[in-house]
Amino acid sequence: MKTYELQDVPTPNLLEETFPYTLPPLIKFEGKIKETIDGREVEFDPNEVKTRDIHITDTTFRDGQQARPPYKREHMVTLFEMMSRLGGPNGVIRQSEFFLYTKNDRDTIDACRALNLKYPEITGWIRANKGDFRLVKEMGLKETGMLTSSSDYHIFHKQKQTRKEAMQQYIEVVEAAFEAGVRPRCHLEDITRADLPGFVFPFVQKLERLSEQVPQHMKVKIRLCDTMGFGLSYPNAAEPRSIPKMIWRLRNECGVSADRLEWHGHNDFHKVHINGASSWIYGLNALNGTLFGFGERTGNPPLEGAVIEYVALKGGLNGVNLPVITEMAEYYERVIGTTLASNYPFVGKDFNTTRAGIHAGGLRKFEQIYNIFDTTALLNRPPRVAITDKSGTDGVALWVNDFLGLQGEERLTVMKVAKIQRWVMDQYEKEGRMSSITDQEMEEQVKTCLPEYYQAHRKN
Amino acid sequence: MTREEIAARVVGVTAQQFAMKTSDIKESDQFTVDLGADSLKSIELVAAYEEAFGLSVKEEEALKVQDVGGAIDFFYRLLK
Repeated sequence: MKTYELQDVPTPNLLEETFPYTLPPLIKFEGKIKETIDGREVEFDPNEVKTRDIHITDTTFRDGQQARPPYKREHMVTLFEMMSRLGGPNGVIRQSEFFLYTKNDRDTIDACRALNLKYPEITGWIRANKGDFRLVKEMGLKETGMLTSSSDYHIFHKQKQTRKEAMQQYIEVVEAAFEAGVRPRCHLEDITRADLPGFVFPFVQKLERLSEQVPQHMKVKIRLCDTMGFGLSYPNAAEPRSIPKMIWRLRNECGVSADRLEWHGHNDFHKVHINGASSWIYGLNALNGTLFGFGERTGNPPLEGAVIEYVALKGGLNGVNLPVITEMAEYYERVIGTTLASNYPFVGKDFNTTRAGIHAGGLRKFEQIYNIFDTTALLNRPPRVAITDKSGTDGVALWVNDFLGLQGEERLTVMKVAKIQRWVMDQYEKEGRMSSITDQEMEEQVKTCLPEYYQAHRKN
Repeated sequence: MTREEIAARVVGVTAQQFAMKTSDIKESDQFTVDLGADSLKSIELVAAYEEAFGLSVKEEEALKVQDVGGAIDFFYRLLK
């Protein structure tokens, strides 16, 4: 057994090489990941992700919109513009896909195009039939996704086809895309519940053979659609649920390069974000997500979560403009009218709000103790405290100091806010209150108990 | 101020905060054990001392004081 001796250091070791605070905590790897495939060990180098052109693709207006009332055109155009700023000039958010079926769908694409933004590139989404493909040609898109369901659940029970019939239909539409100069992106629906060697791999190998006839920029892309959220990122999970095995076989046995592979997940088993991030690690480049994770049923990989993950993996922003995440959330709630869960990471009203007095005490003493990163600088969201009977005088002091904008030595002590804390406790102990104290009530208390500070420092 | 003057003021404030007679307050009384102060009452007590002496004290140092005699010594040192 190894013995560890206490190192009684004179100054704290805050492990800032991993927790820089000026960025989200960095994700570092030590060594390779091993996976057993067909009885032999294969290796994945997770550090490859630092140099590979990983990026994010968006489906907020396709899958994201399937799960909610339709967006108005101006909503989509505004969110599209924000998405462009969030992803930055290097195209960290590389593409965004749109429906093409209604006039509103097509008018929205025209309005987004009129913004003349380099990123995200606009792509389409159609069912794999030639009639739908006409819409792609009419819109003049360079790339379109097409639904190519891959499990027998879909082929036999939804499409009422044999595997051969399904594959023939898909191939015909891919060929039509090539003929029209449109890059096809095959969405292998339900792939984590599909017969991989019996359908998926032969289909992909056929697509690769077809791709040999077209230039690099036209070669078929493959989207791995974990339609029901069955995918597993665990090492040595069995197929077809194993994400590493699936990606390894597609790259090494089917010859699909990382830049033509994309992951599209669902959150039915709470695995949506980690599965998406793991797919980057295991060797594909594109992670498909939706803003705030809205998508069919339990949703898709949250786009903003993927952006944070990107920064953490790359160890830098690469042009990403993180405060736009907050801007998008505010727009979503204020204009679109959809409330985000208050505890939702990075954007929820309370994502960096502490309620416990002991946490508020820590936050007062050294913000980094209870804040995940510099949320003020990176997301324009200073850490906050919610006032209840549990937040304590520390919580009240933190709230009051932040409200008054007091810094350093001028910040008020717990003694200065003791009267406010007494009022708070009386609300619960004498008045039987069950809800949190509102910001408006707190402001009234500051006015009453600390009038000189309120007059001198109150924020406009 | 002499220690006696400070002691009289500390005892007076303490008695008022705990609704007791000054004669019932002893220098050896511990705020939490003998007088029943919870964390908020301890803070209110320091706030009341600050008001009585017309000064602001450092929070961490003031809240370390455990008993009436300690409070007298604390303010005696500050005002000396």
